[in-house]
Amino acid sequence: MVHEDYKEMIPVRALSALDAAEERVLNEHLDNCSECRKELEEWQATTAALAVVADPVEPSPEVRERILGAVRKDLSSNVVPLRSTSRNVWSSFGSLGAIAAVVLFVALLVGLFVLWRQNRAYREELAAKNEFIQLVNTPGARVTELKGNDLGAGATAKLAHDAAGRAILMASKLPNVPAGKAYQLWFIVPNKPPVPGKTFVPDSAGNAVLKDEIAGAALDAKVFAITVEPASGVSAPTGPIYLRSSEVN
Amino acid sequence: MLFCGQSVFAWRSYISRLQPRPAQEDDVALLKAIAARNEAALAQLYDRYRAILFGLLMRILNNREEAEDVLQEVFLQVWRKATDFDENRGRPFTWLVTLARSRGIDRLRTLAARERVAETSAREVSEDISDAATDAFKSEQRGLVTKALSQLPDEQKRPLMLAYFDGLTQSEIAARLGAPLGTVKTRMRTGLISLRELLAGQGESFGF
Repeated sequence: MVHEDYKEMIPVRALSALDAAEERVLNEHLDNCSECRKELEEWQATTAALAVVADPVEPSPEVRERILGAVRKDLSSNVVPLRSTSRNVWSSFGSLGAIAAVVLFVALLVGLFVLWRQNRAYREELAAKNEFIQLVNTPGARVTELKGNDLGAGATAKLAHDAAGRAILMASKLPNVPAGKAYQLWFIVPNKPPVPGKTFVPDSAGNAVLKDEIAGAALDAKVFAITVEPASGVSAPTGPIYLRSSEVN
Repeated sequence: MLFCGQSVFAWRSYISRLQPRPAQEDDVALLKAIAARNEAALAQLYDRYRAILFGLLMRILNNREEAEDVLQEVFLQVWRKATDFDENRGRPFTWLVTLARSRGIDRLRTLAARERVAETSAREVSEDISDAATDAFKSEQRGLVTKALSQLPDEQKRPLMLAYFDGLTQSEIAARLGAPLGTVKTRMRTGLISLRELLAGQGESFGF
Protein backbone atom coordinates (compact mmCIF):
# COMPACT_ATOMS: atom_id res chain seq x y z
CA MET A 1 0.00 0.00 0.00
CA VAL A 2 1.42 3.37 -1.00
CA HIS A 3 1.03 6.76 0.58
CA GLU A 4 -1.84 7.77 -1.73
CA ASP A 5 -3.79 4.67 -0.75
CA TYR A 6 -3.66 5.77 2.87
CA LYS A 7 -4.67 9.30 1.97
CA GLU A 8 -7.78 8.00 0.27
CA MET A 9 -8.84 6.29 3.46
CA ILE A 10 -8.46 9.37 5.65
CA PRO A 11 -11.82 11.11 4.99
CA VAL A 12 -13.73 7.97 5.94
CA ARG A 13 -11.43 7.47 8.90
CA ALA A 14 -12.56 10.90 10.11
CA LEU A 15 -16.08 9.44 10.22
CA SER A 16 -14.81 6.36 12.09
CA ALA A 17 -16.41 4.32 9.36
CA LEU A 18 -13.47 2.25 8.17
CA ASP A 19 -13.73 -1.46 8.80
CA ALA A 20 -11.55 -2.68 11.64
CA ALA A 21 -8.78 -4.14 9.46
CA GLU A 22 -8.49 -1.01 7.35
CA GLU A 23 -8.50 1.23 10.40
CA ARG A 24 -5.75 -0.80 11.98
CA VAL A 25 -3.59 -0.54 8.87
CA LEU A 26 -4.21 3.19 8.55
CA ASN A 27 -3.53 3.81 12.24
CA GLU A 28 -0.15 2.14 11.87
CA HIS A 29 0.61 4.45 8.98
CA LEU A 30 -0.59 7.49 10.92
CA ASP A 31 1.86 6.69 13.66
CA ASN A 32 4.66 7.36 11.20
CA CYS A 33 3.23 10.00 8.85
CA SER A 34 2.77 13.53 10.12
CA GLU A 35 1.36 14.67 6.78
CA CYS A 36 -1.49 12.17 7.00
CA ARG A 37 -2.07 12.99 10.67
CA LYS A 38 -2.45 16.63 9.71
CA GLU A 39 -4.86 15.73 6.96
CA LEU A 40 -6.92 13.60 9.31
CA GLU A 41 -7.21 16.54 11.71
CA GLU A 42 -8.49 18.69 8.86
CA TRP A 43 -11.04 16.10 7.84
CA GLN A 44 -12.17 15.78 11.42
CA ALA A 45 -12.95 19.48 11.36
CA THR A 46 -15.19 18.83 8.36
CA THR A 47 -16.99 15.91 9.93
CA ALA A 48 -17.37 17.87 13.19
CA ALA A 49 -19.49 20.34 11.27
CA LEU A 50 -22.04 17.58 10.76
CA ALA A 51 -22.76 17.71 14.49
CA VAL A 52 -24.83 20.83 13.96
CA VAL A 53 -27.26 18.86 11.83
CA ALA A 54 -28.58 17.34 15.03
CA ASP A 55 -31.03 19.59 16.82
CA PRO A 56 -29.58 21.08 20.00
CA VAL A 57 -31.18 19.60 23.09
CA GLU A 58 -30.99 20.79 26.67
CA PRO A 59 -29.74 18.13 29.08
CA SER A 60 -31.25 17.97 32.55
CA PRO A 61 -29.66 20.28 35.16
CA GLU A 62 -28.57 17.24 37.16
CA VAL A 63 -25.90 16.44 34.54
CA ARG A 64 -24.16 19.75 35.21
CA GLU A 65 -24.32 19.13 38.92
CA ARG A 66 -22.93 15.62 38.56
CA ILE A 67 -20.05 16.83 36.42
CA LEU A 68 -19.14 19.70 38.72
CA GLY A 69 -19.62 17.48 41.76
CA ALA A 70 -17.14 14.98 40.34
CA VAL A 71 -14.73 17.81 39.53
CA ARG A 72 -14.92 19.19 43.07
CA LYS A 73 -14.35 15.74 44.45
CA ASP A 74 -11.37 15.34 42.14
CA LEU A 75 -10.00 18.71 43.24
CA SER A 76 -10.43 17.94 46.92
CA SER A 77 -8.95 14.48 46.56
CA ASN A 78 -5.95 15.96 44.78
CA VAL A 79 -5.39 19.04 46.88
CA VAL A 80 -6.01 17.79 50.39
CA PRO A 81 -4.19 14.53 49.97
CA LEU A 82 -1.28 16.31 48.31
CA ARG A 83 -0.46 17.88 51.66
CA SER A 84 -1.54 15.00 53.74
CA THR A 85 -0.02 12.61 51.26
CA SER A 86 3.41 14.08 51.82
CA ARG A 87 2.79 13.89 55.54
CA ASN A 88 1.18 10.53 55.26
CA VAL A 89 3.99 9.18 53.17
CA TRP A 90 6.51 10.07 55.78
CA SER A 91 4.30 9.23 58.74
CA SER A 92 3.37 6.02 56.98
CA PHE A 93 6.99 5.27 56.50
CA GLY A 94 7.48 6.08 60.17
CA SER A 95 4.60 3.87 61.25
CA LEU A 96 5.55 1.12 58.88
CA GLY A 97 9.12 1.35 60.01
CA ALA A 98 8.12 1.13 63.65
CA ILE A 99 5.82 -1.80 62.96
CA ALA A 100 8.53 -3.50 60.92
CA ALA A 101 11.06 -2.93 63.69
CA VAL A 102 8.71 -4.37 66.31
CA VAL A 103 7.89 -7.35 64.08
CA LEU A 104 11.58 -7.89 63.42
CA PHE A 105 12.40 -7.62 67.11
CA VAL A 106 9.64 -10.04 68.10
CA ALA A 107 10.72 -12.42 65.33
CA LEU A 108 14.28 -12.20 66.63
CA LEU A 109 13.15 -12.96 70.18
CA VAL A 110 11.02 -15.85 69.01
CA GLY A 111 13.91 -17.13 66.93
CA LEU A 112 16.28 -16.90 69.87
CA PHE A 113 13.76 -18.61 72.13
CA VAL A 114 13.28 -21.42 69.61
CA LEU A 115 17.02 -21.80 69.23
CA TRP A 116 17.43 -21.78 73.00
CA ARG A 117 14.74 -24.42 73.39
CA GLN A 118 16.20 -26.52 70.61
CA ASN A 119 19.59 -26.16 72.12
CA ARG A 120 18.27 -27.14 75.52
CA ALA A 121 16.39 -30.09 74.00
CA TYR A 122 19.55 -31.22 72.19
CA ARG A 123 21.53 -30.87 75.40
CA GLU A 124 18.93 -32.79 77.35
CA GLU A 125 18.77 -35.45 74.65
CA LEU A 126 22.53 -35.68 74.55
CA ALA A 127 22.69 -35.82 78.34
CA ALA A 128 20.02 -38.54 78.39
CA LYS A 129 21.91 -40.54 75.79
CA ASN A 130 25.10 -40.18 77.75
CA GLU A 131 23.30 -41.21 80.84
CA PHE A 132 21.74 -44.12 78.96
CA ILE A 133 25.18 -45.21 77.72
CA GLN A 134 26.62 -44.93 81.18
CA LEU A 135 23.76 -47.01 82.53
CA VAL A 136 24.19 -49.61 79.83
CA ASN A 137 27.90 -49.81 80.68
CA THR A 138 27.14 -50.38 84.31
CA PRO A 139 28.00 -53.99 85.31
CA GLY A 140 24.87 -56.14 85.35
CA ALA A 141 22.87 -53.69 83.29
CA ARG A 142 20.42 -54.96 80.72
CA VAL A 143 18.82 -53.41 77.66
CA THR A 144 15.43 -54.49 76.51
CA GLU A 145 13.83 -53.46 73.27
CA LEU A 146 10.16 -52.61 72.98
CA LYS A 147 8.29 -52.54 69.69
CA GLY A 148 5.02 -50.95 68.75
CA ASN A 149 2.03 -53.15 68.00
CA ASP A 150 -0.82 -52.12 65.71
CA LEU A 151 -1.66 -49.13 67.93
CA GLY A 152 1.97 -48.06 68.22
CA ALA A 153 3.00 -49.02 64.71
CA GLY A 154 6.53 -47.87 63.91
CA ALA A 155 7.32 -46.87 67.48
CA THR A 156 10.37 -48.33 69.18
CA ALA A 157 11.93 -47.98 72.61
CA LYS A 158 14.94 -49.22 74.54
CA LEU A 159 14.83 -49.70 78.25
CA ALA A 160 18.10 -49.89 80.13
CA HIS A 161 18.18 -50.78 83.79
CA ASP A 162 20.70 -52.01 86.23
CA ALA A 163 20.51 -54.29 89.22
CA ALA A 164 19.91 -51.32 91.51
CA GLY A 165 16.69 -50.52 89.70
CA ARG A 166 17.89 -47.40 87.84
CA ALA A 167 16.06 -47.40 84.51
CA ILE A 168 16.10 -45.16 81.47
CA LEU A 169 13.63 -45.51 78.65
CA MET A 170 14.40 -43.96 75.30
CA ALA A 171 11.47 -44.08 72.89
CA SER A 172 10.98 -42.77 69.38
CA LYS A 173 8.18 -42.46 66.80
CA LEU A 174 5.50 -42.70 69.42
CA PRO A 175 2.03 -41.67 68.30
CA ASN A 176 0.70 -38.51 69.89
CA VAL A 177 -1.50 -39.12 72.86
CA PRO A 178 -4.90 -37.44 73.27
CA ALA A 179 -5.23 -34.49 75.61
CA GLY A 180 -5.40 -35.58 79.22
CA LYS A 181 -3.65 -38.84 78.41
CA ALA A 182 -0.06 -40.02 78.75
CA TYR A 183 2.04 -43.06 78.10
CA GLN A 184 2.77 -45.19 81.15
CA LEU A 185 5.53 -47.78 81.54
CA TRP A 186 4.70 -51.16 83.06
CA PHE A 187 6.88 -53.85 84.53
CA ILE A 188 5.32 -57.24 84.20
CA VAL A 189 6.41 -60.05 86.50
CA PRO A 190 4.99 -63.47 85.70
CA ASN A 191 1.96 -64.37 87.79
CA LYS A 192 1.84 -60.95 89.44
CA PRO A 193 -0.06 -57.80 88.72
CA PRO A 194 1.80 -55.32 86.44
CA VAL A 195 3.92 -52.89 88.41
CA PRO A 196 3.31 -49.30 87.32
CA GLY A 197 6.16 -47.10 86.17
CA LYS A 198 6.10 -43.36 85.50
CA THR A 199 3.99 -41.58 82.89
CA PHE A 200 5.44 -39.51 80.09
CA VAL A 201 4.39 -37.54 77.05
CA PRO A 202 6.56 -37.58 73.92
CA ASP A 203 7.56 -34.44 72.07
CA SER A 204 5.99 -33.47 68.80
CA ALA A 205 8.34 -35.83 66.94
CA GLY A 206 7.26 -38.73 69.10
CA ASN A 207 10.50 -38.92 71.05
CA ALA A 208 10.68 -39.38 74.79
CA VAL A 209 13.22 -40.05 77.49
CA LEU A 210 12.05 -41.36 80.84
CA LYS A 211 14.14 -41.97 83.93
CA ASP A 212 12.54 -44.24 86.41
CA GLU A 213 13.28 -46.34 89.44
CA ILE A 214 12.22 -49.91 89.30
CA ALA A 215 10.65 -51.02 92.55
CA GLY A 216 12.12 -54.10 94.09
CA ALA A 217 9.07 -56.16 93.23
CA ALA A 218 9.57 -55.35 89.57
CA LEU A 219 13.26 -56.17 89.32
CA ASP A 220 12.31 -59.64 88.15
CA ALA A 221 10.10 -58.29 85.33
CA LYS A 222 10.19 -60.42 82.23
CA VAL A 223 8.10 -58.14 80.03
CA PHE A 224 7.98 -54.38 79.70
CA ALA A 225 5.01 -52.63 78.19
CA ILE A 226 3.73 -49.16 77.52
CA THR A 227 0.06 -48.26 77.60
CA VAL A 228 -1.92 -45.04 77.24
CA GLU A 229 -3.48 -43.98 80.48
CA PRO A 230 -4.85 -40.90 82.22
CA ALA A 231 -2.09 -38.28 82.45
CA SER A 232 -1.89 -38.63 86.24
CA GLY A 233 -1.11 -42.34 85.89
CA VAL A 234 -2.89 -45.36 87.25
CA SER A 235 -1.90 -48.19 89.55
CA ALA A 236 -3.26 -50.87 87.24
CA PRO A 237 -3.37 -50.68 83.45
CA THR A 238 -6.69 -49.56 81.96
CA GLY A 239 -5.69 -48.61 78.46
CA PRO A 240 -4.44 -50.58 75.52
CA ILE A 241 -0.79 -51.60 75.08
CA TYR A 242 1.08 -49.61 72.41
CA LEU A 243 4.54 -51.13 72.83
CA ARG A 244 5.85 -54.18 74.54
CA SER A 245 8.98 -56.23 74.78
CA SER A 246 9.44 -59.88 74.17
CA GLU A 247 9.75 -61.95 77.29
CA VAL A 248 13.27 -61.68 78.57
CA ASN A 249 15.11 -64.60 80.00
CA MET B 1 -11.05 19.32 -9.22
CA LEU B 2 -12.41 19.51 -5.74
CA PHE B 3 -9.10 18.89 -4.08
CA CYS B 4 -7.24 21.92 -5.42
CA GLY B 5 -5.30 24.17 -3.05
CA GLN B 6 -7.72 27.06 -3.43
CA SER B 7 -10.64 24.89 -2.36
CA VAL B 8 -8.79 23.63 0.65
CA PHE B 9 -7.99 27.21 1.59
CA ALA B 10 -11.64 28.14 1.24
CA TRP B 11 -12.67 25.14 3.34
CA ARG B 12 -10.28 26.12 6.08
CA SER B 13 -11.70 29.59 5.91
CA TYR B 14 -15.17 28.14 6.37
CA ILE B 15 -14.20 25.98 9.25
CA SER B 16 -12.50 28.85 11.01
CA ARG B 17 -15.67 30.84 10.62
CA LEU B 18 -17.89 28.04 11.81
CA GLN B 19 -17.22 29.58 15.19
CA PRO B 20 -16.74 33.33 15.64
CA ARG B 21 -13.12 34.10 16.23
CA PRO B 22 -13.68 35.58 19.70
CA ALA B 23 -15.53 32.38 20.62
CA GLN B 24 -12.64 30.24 19.38
CA GLU B 25 -10.17 32.31 21.32
CA ASP B 26 -12.41 32.16 24.36
CA ASP B 27 -12.65 28.41 24.01
CA VAL B 28 -8.90 28.03 23.81
CA ALA B 29 -8.54 30.20 26.90
CA LEU B 30 -11.18 28.11 28.67
CA LEU B 31 -9.40 24.87 27.82
CA LYS B 32 -6.13 26.29 29.08
CA ALA B 33 -7.87 27.30 32.31
CA ILE B 34 -9.41 23.84 32.58
CA ALA B 35 -5.97 22.32 32.07
CA ALA B 36 -4.94 24.47 35.05
CA ARG B 37 -7.81 22.83 36.96
CA ASN B 38 -10.18 25.77 36.93
CA GLU B 39 -13.63 24.44 37.78
CA ALA B 40 -15.42 27.62 36.71
CA ALA B 41 -13.87 27.37 33.25
CA LEU B 42 -15.26 23.87 32.83
CA ALA B 43 -18.69 25.08 33.92
CA GLN B 44 -18.48 27.87 31.34
CA LEU B 45 -17.44 25.52 28.55
CA TYR B 46 -20.23 23.15 29.53
CA ASP B 47 -22.81 25.91 29.44
CA ARG B 48 -21.57 26.95 26.03
CA TYR B 49 -21.67 23.53 24.35
CA ARG B 50 -23.98 21.34 26.39
CA ALA B 51 -26.98 21.68 24.07
CA ILE B 52 -25.03 21.08 20.87
CA LEU B 53 -23.19 18.07 22.22
CA PHE B 54 -26.23 16.67 23.97
CA GLY B 55 -28.23 17.07 20.77
CA LEU B 56 -25.53 15.15 18.93
CA LEU B 57 -25.55 12.41 21.55
CA MET B 58 -29.33 12.22 21.54
CA ARG B 59 -29.25 11.87 17.78
CA ILE B 60 -26.72 9.05 18.04
CA LEU B 61 -28.16 7.22 21.04
CA ASN B 62 -31.84 8.16 20.93
CA ASN B 63 -31.94 7.62 24.68
CA ARG B 64 -31.91 10.51 27.12
CA GLU B 65 -30.42 8.60 30.03
CA GLU B 66 -27.60 7.13 27.96
CA ALA B 67 -26.93 10.46 26.26
CA GLU B 68 -26.72 12.29 29.59
CA ASP B 69 -24.39 9.64 30.93
CA VAL B 70 -22.10 9.99 27.92
CA LEU B 71 -22.28 13.80 28.10
CA GLN B 72 -21.06 13.56 31.68
CA GLU B 73 -18.24 11.26 30.61
CA VAL B 74 -17.25 13.66 27.84
CA PHE B 75 -16.92 16.67 30.13
CA LEU B 76 -15.10 14.67 32.76
CA GLN B 77 -12.74 13.58 30.00
CA VAL B 78 -12.34 17.23 29.05
CA TRP B 79 -11.50 17.94 32.68
CA ARG B 80 -8.89 15.21 32.78
CA LYS B 81 -7.50 15.63 29.27
CA ALA B 82 -7.61 19.37 28.64
CA THR B 83 -3.83 19.35 28.75
CA ASP B 84 -3.91 17.17 25.62
CA PHE B 85 -5.65 19.84 23.59
CA ASP B 86 -3.30 21.50 21.09
CA GLU B 87 -4.68 24.61 19.44
CA ASN B 88 -2.23 24.15 16.57
CA ARG B 89 -3.81 20.82 15.68
CA GLY B 90 -7.44 21.81 15.68
CA ARG B 91 -10.16 23.96 17.11
CA PRO B 92 -11.85 23.45 20.45
CA PHE B 93 -15.20 22.83 18.76
CA THR B 94 -13.70 20.06 16.61
CA TRP B 95 -12.01 18.53 19.62
CA LEU B 96 -15.18 18.55 21.70
CA VAL B 97 -17.37 17.17 18.94
CA THR B 98 -14.83 14.47 18.11
CA LEU B 99 -14.68 13.45 21.77
CA ALA B 100 -18.46 13.43 22.16
CA ARG B 101 -19.17 11.58 18.93
CA SER B 102 -16.46 9.03 19.58
CA ARG B 103 -17.86 8.25 23.01
CA GLY B 104 -21.39 8.30 21.71
CA ILE B 105 -20.58 5.82 18.94
CA ASP B 106 -18.70 3.63 21.38
CA ARG B 107 -21.74 3.57 23.65
CA LEU B 108 -24.03 2.92 20.72
CA ARG B 109 -21.95 0.00 19.57
CA THR B 110 -21.91 -1.31 23.10
CA LEU B 111 -25.62 -1.08 23.36
CA ALA B 112 -26.01 -2.58 19.90
CA ALA B 113 -28.93 -0.26 19.49
CA ARG B 114 -28.53 0.56 15.88
CA GLU B 115 -32.02 -0.30 14.83
CA ARG B 116 -33.59 2.98 15.77
CA VAL B 117 -34.74 5.26 13.00
CA ALA B 118 -32.76 8.44 12.79
CA GLU B 119 -35.66 10.45 11.45
CA THR B 120 -37.75 9.48 14.47
CA SER B 121 -35.09 10.54 16.92
CA ALA B 122 -34.70 13.84 15.14
CA ARG B 123 -38.42 14.50 15.54
CA GLU B 124 -38.36 13.47 19.18
CA VAL B 125 -35.54 15.77 20.13
CA SER B 126 -36.36 18.76 18.01
CA GLU B 127 -39.00 20.02 20.43
CA ASP B 128 -36.52 20.58 23.19
CA ILE B 129 -34.26 23.30 21.85
CA SER B 130 -33.30 25.80 24.50
CA ASP B 131 -32.37 29.43 24.30
CA ALA B 132 -28.89 28.54 25.46
CA ALA B 133 -28.57 26.14 22.59
CA THR B 134 -29.59 28.67 20.01
CA ASP B 135 -27.29 31.21 21.59
CA ALA B 136 -24.38 28.85 21.63
CA PHE B 137 -24.78 27.81 18.06
CA LYS B 138 -26.98 29.83 15.81
CA SER B 139 -29.56 28.14 13.69
CA GLU B 140 -28.07 29.90 10.70
CA GLN B 141 -25.02 27.70 10.97
CA ARG B 142 -27.17 24.60 11.11
CA GLY B 143 -29.02 25.85 8.13
CA LEU B 144 -25.85 26.28 6.13
CA VAL B 145 -24.58 22.80 6.92
CA THR B 146 -28.01 21.34 6.21
CA LYS B 147 -28.10 23.24 2.95
CA ALA B 148 -24.71 21.87 1.96
CA LEU B 149 -25.92 18.38 2.73
CA SER B 150 -29.08 18.89 0.75
CA GLN B 151 -26.98 19.55 -2.32
CA LEU B 152 -25.43 16.13 -2.11
CA PRO B 153 -27.09 13.32 -4.01
CA ASP B 154 -29.03 11.10 -1.64
CA GLU B 155 -26.81 8.16 -2.55
CA GLN B 156 -23.85 10.11 -1.11
CA LYS B 157 -25.63 11.81 1.78
CA ARG B 158 -27.27 8.71 3.22
CA PRO B 159 -24.06 6.74 3.76
CA LEU B 160 -22.53 9.78 5.45
CA MET B 161 -25.48 10.10 7.83
CA LEU B 162 -25.45 6.39 8.60
CA ALA B 163 -21.76 6.60 9.41
CA TYR B 164 -21.92 9.80 11.41
CA PHE B 165 -25.05 9.32 13.47
CA ASP B 166 -25.48 5.55 13.47
CA GLY B 167 -21.83 4.64 13.80
CA LEU B 168 -21.94 2.15 10.96
CA THR B 169 -18.79 1.09 9.15
CA GLN B 170 -18.56 0.99 5.37
CA SER B 171 -19.28 -2.74 5.30
CA GLU B 172 -22.29 -2.30 7.55
CA ILE B 173 -23.56 0.54 5.41
CA ALA B 174 -23.16 -1.58 2.28
CA ALA B 175 -25.17 -4.33 3.94
CA ARG B 176 -27.80 -1.88 5.16
CA LEU B 177 -28.22 -0.29 1.73
CA GLY B 178 -27.78 -3.48 -0.24
CA ALA B 179 -25.01 -1.87 -2.27
CA PRO B 180 -21.57 -3.22 -3.22
CA LEU B 181 -18.87 -2.25 -0.73
CA GLY B 182 -16.72 -0.64 -3.42
CA THR B 183 -19.64 1.53 -4.49
CA VAL B 184 -20.28 2.64 -0.92
CA LYS B 185 -16.63 3.51 -0.45
CA THR B 186 -16.62 5.64 -3.57
CA ARG B 187 -19.86 7.38 -2.66
CA MET B 188 -18.73 8.16 0.85
CA ARG B 189 -15.43 9.56 -0.21
CA THR B 190 -16.97 11.59 -3.01
CA GLY B 191 -19.71 12.80 -0.69
CA LEU B 192 -17.24 13.96 1.94
CA ILE B 193 -15.10 15.81 -0.58
CA SER B 194 -18.19 17.45 -2.05
CA LEU B 195 -19.41 18.43 1.39
CA ARG B 196 -16.14 20.06 2.19
CA GLU B 197 -16.23 22.04 -1.03
CA LEU B 198 -19.84 23.07 -0.50
CA LEU B 199 -19.15 24.24 3.03
CA ALA B 200 -16.14 26.15 1.82
CA GLY B 201 -18.23 27.76 -0.91
CA GLN B 202 -20.89 28.84 1.53
CA GLY B 203 -18.41 29.99 4.10
CA GLU B 204 -18.12 33.46 2.58
CA SER B 205 -21.73 34.12 3.48
CA PHE B 206 -21.26 33.52 7.18
CA GLY B 207 -21.59 36.67 9.16
CA PHE B 208 -19.09 35.85 11.96
